[in-house]
Amino acid sequence: MEVDYLIVVLLGSLTAAAALLIATVGLAVVFGLMGVINLAHGEFVMFGAYTTLTVTRAGVPFVVAVLAGAALTAVFGAIVEILIVKPMYGRLLDTMLATWGLSLILLQVAVLRFGTVTPGVGLPQWSLGIGEFQVSTYLVLMIPVAILIVWAVYMLFTRTSYGVMARASIQDREMASAIGIETSRLNTITFALGSGLAGMAGGILVPAIPATPTMGFAFVIKAFLVVVAAGPATLSGTAATGGILSSASNITANFWSTAFGDLMFFAVTITILRFFPFGISDKWRIRL
Amino acid sequence: MWWTSPIIALATLVAWVMTSDNYFAHVATSWVIFGITALSLDLVWGRGGVLSLGQTALFGLGGYSGGVVAINFADTTGNTLIWALPTGAIAGAAAAGIVGWLMFYARMGPLQQTILTYTCTLLLWTLMVSFTATYGDAVVGGQNGLSGIPGYVVGFGDSASKVDSRTMFLISIAIAAILLLGVQRLMRTPFGTIIDCIRLDSLKTALLGYDTRRFELTLFVVAGAMAGLAGSMFTLWANFINPSVFRVQDALLIPIYVLVGGIGTLLGGFVGAVAVGWLTFWLGSGAGGDQSTIWLGASLILLVRFNRAGIYGFGYNAWQWLKRRGTTDTSSTATAVVQVDFDLLHRLRSGNRDTGDISLSTRDASVSFGGVKPVDAITKTFVPGRVRCVIGPNGAGKSSYLKVCAGTYKADSGEVTVDGIEVTRASPHRRVAAGLGIKNQRAQVFAELDVRTNLWVAAYARHRNSARARATAEAMIEMLGMADRASRPAGDLSHGEQQWLDIGMVLCLAPDVILLDEPAAGMTTEERMQLAQLVRTLSRSAAVVVVDHDMTFIHSLDPEITVLHQGAVFAEGDIDDIRGNERVLDIYLGRRENVLD
Repeated sequence: MEVDYLIVVLLGSLTAAAALLIATVGLAVVFGLMGVINLAHGEFVMFGAYTTLTVTRAGVPFVVAVLAGAALTAVFGAIVEILIVKPMYGRLLDTMLATWGLSLILLQVAVLRFGTVTPGVGLPQWSLGIGEFQVSTYLVLMIPVAILIVWAVYMLFTRTSYGVMARASIQDREMASAIGIETSRLNTITFALGSGLAGMAGGILVPAIPATPTMGFAFVIKAFLVVVAAGPATLSGTAATGGILSSASNITANFWSTAFGDLMFFAVTITILRFFPFGISDKWRIRL
Repeated sequence: MWWTSPIIALATLVAWVMTSDNYFAHVATSWVIFGITALSLDLVWGRGGVLSLGQTALFGLGGYSGGVVAINFADTTGNTLIWALPTGAIAGAAAAGIVGWLMFYARMGPLQQTILTYTCTLLLWTLMVSFTATYGDAVVGGQNGLSGIPGYVVGFGDSASKVDSRTMFLISIAIAAILLLGVQRLMRTPFGTIIDCIRLDSLKTALLGYDTRRFELTLFVVAGAMAGLAGSMFTLWANFINPSVFRVQDALLIPIYVLVGGIGTLLGGFVGAVAVGWLTFWLGSGAGGDQSTIWLGASLILLVRFNRAGIYGFGYNAWQWLKRRGTTDTSSTATAVVQVDFDLLHRLRSGNRDTGDISLSTRDASVSFGGVKPVDAITKTFVPGRVRCVIGPNGAGKSSYLKVCAGTYKADSGEVTVDGIEVTRASPHRRVAAGLGIKNQRAQVFAELDVRTNLWVAAYARHRNSARARATAEAMIEMLGMADRASRPAGDLSHGEQQWLDIGMVLCLAPDVILLDEPAAGMTTEERMQLAQLVRTLSRSAAVVVVDHDMTFIHSLDPEITVLHQGAVFAEGDIDDIRGNERVLDIYLGRRENVLD
């Protein structure tokens, strides 16, 4: 019984961390490779969720619908990059404010189009029994899915020419341009990739949390904190920081209340920034 | 005069509101309150360079604490303002002090600072939504917030009475006027100039000997007090406050006000809040139809993208343009003729305390970044007498070594002393206080400030007396031959002139130890000769270290030379020794085995 409970708590923490990681990867990629914080990331998640929802309703299998949501969000992201982000390159705080404006627009459009409450995709009813506890299989599946996504992004950055060029251009932008890498186009691709990952996150999360216009915002607030507290190492830093923050908050939430869990999350973020002012991975040798 | 535009703006607002109805006055009061909040953000963002998304959190804290105090103490005196307003200001200042300490003393980057303030807002929102508490008669109840707060009550005892909407507006605008003028006045003091310098180049400000963190923290606390005060005015105005003031949407509204009005103009934030407030009111009592949020978002994007000057900034620039149109620019464009003024240099140094030990020394100083070790166990002592030149091929660690001495890089191991004082772990400004002065490889000047102010800031760092600093700055302008361009922004100067200006700023500090990293870059042959003469003179009474590549210039300094290679001392001697040293030629030309040493 005691052991079962601990396993459930542990599984719950891991699931929460996995969900957070899924929602954060896209943001981390954009921040790590372009140095841009996209405050509309949450609305991109929401965009993916609603796309997935609409496509599923049309009778398309769920997994295909998730990919469709990711693709459509990626295209949307590319347009946003060209229209809003590119003209302000290098003005970090301005980009933040502009993407925040975008997030307000998307939020309101979603409210007008879908209303504030939408029936979600039903969570598949399979569950795992652990002692006397029941745990949703779908939620547990998020753990391998998160690992798979991180692995795929890692492969993309280490094994493809796009990935190598993108990493080269963050190391030394001028040098990258000098040897013929078109950094401006790379940025569009990177932003589209990050947006696509956000869209996919929306699709994956939509059975677990109800699709509402504010779903992305509520979820992604923590993602921002993870990315900034993680620092420059896009994948490893984000995974480590997401793990730390999410476990701290989840364990606290289990023993006290959700509010205490959130407070813990914010307090740990502040503490991390106090001792690692440029993020946990600032001094790491790994940069991915 | 500097106070004309605020007075005109406030007087216009008063005239407009007082000729309208009571309800309008009531609503306009809230614009004034948000105007004060926007002013507090413009102070930290426009002038201090920190985009705080925590101003509404400070506002909310001020509001809650002001409300609690007003509920509990209003009965004793009747008057609510004397309780709520100071409490709100103190709460805001105290919270800003904690957040500011975290931000500035951890030396975070701008993004991290913004995210930290954002986190604090989220933290407070969660806290206020989730928990309830009772303080005396006041019940702070989660989502419901705090209600039953008495309004603006003036007078004492029996004569105490709640004021009408117009009087409430007038009281609020009076407070706003005091704050606006007070802040504008503050930013015209040396404090304000130093804040501008920190925004423009924080490192250079520290290298002039200012403890930048203390200035930034002070500014943040002042702004926090203003936001808290605005919050307490808000609770009295609304008679209640709830956690919605901590919502992130509201946190992001304040930057909009500032951008609409014009960032960095101080009055602009206030103007922006009133303009946006009036527009929302006019479009239809806040709701503004379903599209209002869309318009808000779109205008934010457009503002950031196209018009950073804002309403006030636009008007100001137009006014400046009109004023300038009449006068043609008559200042000459001839290059400066520097006349080294030995008397001035001597006078500047005469104030130095007599340490009896003018020296810079490093013992086994090393620094490494990842796998690279740009400075590898260098032990050297520099004293007055002959100029010491540090040379070496690119990447030899010359600039890094100077940075380890100046404290821009902290030595991982070893020891650094200035005038016998151990400063290995000290911040740059402490080393400057100990007697060090450095000109970095890139000429560092405050580009937006005029030449005179640049020199004044350096002189003020030494004298801590505005009038004396002004005298020193004028003398230095004379010496640098820049009298005709003293009122021009330093950014307009040519590269060589910026080098001289930077050197002039270092000289204003009258340092015992002078580090010059490529001082002659961008200078004409004639200027190099003057510089060489200056440097040789300085080296009689100060320890001077020069890094340069130009062998002709180095020759004219008649120096002792230290050759660095791969972060370590490779060879030493005077210029003829080095010229005859085959191994030095090897590393410069990249030949033979020494390259791989």
